[in-house]
Amino acid sequence: MRFKVYRFDPERHTKPQWQSYDLRLEPSDRMVLDALVRLKAQDDSIAFRRSCREGVCGSDAMNINGRNALACITRLADLAEPVTLAPLPSFPVIRDLIVDMTQFFAHYHAIKPYVTNDEPPPERERLQSPEERDRLNGLYECILCACCTSFCPPSWWNPDKYLGPAALLQAQRFIVDSRDRAAPQRLDFLDDVYKLYRCRTIMNCAEVCPKDLNPAQAIERIKIALLRRSA
Amino acid sequence: MRIFTGQRAFVLQRISALVLLACLTAMALRLAIGPPVTFAQWQTWMAQPLAASALLLVAAALFIHAWVGMRDVVLDYVQPLALRLTVMALVAAGLSVLAAWTGFIVLAHAL
Repeated sequence: MRFKVYRFDPERHTKPQWQSYDLRLEPSDRMVLDALVRLKAQDDSIAFRRSCREGVCGSDAMNINGRNALACITRLADLAEPVTLAPLPSFPVIRDLIVDMTQFFAHYHAIKPYVTNDEPPPERERLQSPEERDRLNGLYECILCACCTSFCPPSWWNPDKYLGPAALLQAQRFIVDSRDRAAPQRLDFLDDVYKLYRCRTIMNCAEVCPKDLNPAQAIERIKIALLRRSA
Repeated sequence: MRIFTGQRAFVLQRISALVLLACLTAMALRLAIGPPVTFAQWQTWMAQPLAASALLLVAAALFIHAWVGMRDVVLDYVQPLALRLTVMALVAAGLSVLAAWTGFIVLAHAL
């Protein structure tokens, strides 16, 4: 199978380049990550992140044939040749397929991704009804792979100011959490022309999310919550 | 509603879109049923209070929608503050002139 891999080592190259590989796959090689591991055995200078190899950790998010995806759950059989492997678009490249996610996690930390509740803790855990727990479905599953944010045009235009789909999905996850008491402060923080309102509902985020989540819908619900609050 | 948070633009964009959808659908249906053929018929149709009101509403919604859209484009692509303010002022001036001209044409026929 033919591969075209984005190569860039800032210590050796002045600009990135594409490198082609012909790889003989074994019957057990089913996913792009399997091929990458085999490529690494052939050329150990290739750098990429991976960990769980089953779509849970989000480490191996990359651009595969022009579309952001997780290498470990993208089937080789579904891809046209040559398979192009590139780092996540718009993120600074550290080396080859490894990107700098500092800005991404700064936005994530900015939304305070933890339950805030100053009330005295109960004897055991803070209970939720099944309905309250259901409100977290479609939100809590995010693995922070950055496939969405990296494929989001408003994030390309204002990467430092627009929080991006992943952080906003997480913000909604805590706004609707029945155990959290900081929803008004969370909404105050998000009520900003750049942090939230740069989203144009382009929906690239929902299109590429490897967990089939819909950040655009979560963002729209934050806007509606803000509207209800100010009405 | 806070003015400079983006919420007002968000609301205006959606309301103007709904007004455009409703008015343009109604006007298209009206024109499909009995379209004015001659210039005199067009003038008569535009002079009717209902048609003139609908045209003014469509024009207002269109310019508001265009302003929000252009403002968004400027906020995204024009980063230097002085250039951004200049471009926004030019867009606002252009849209205002077009709005005034549209209003003048519609009202000149209706009154």
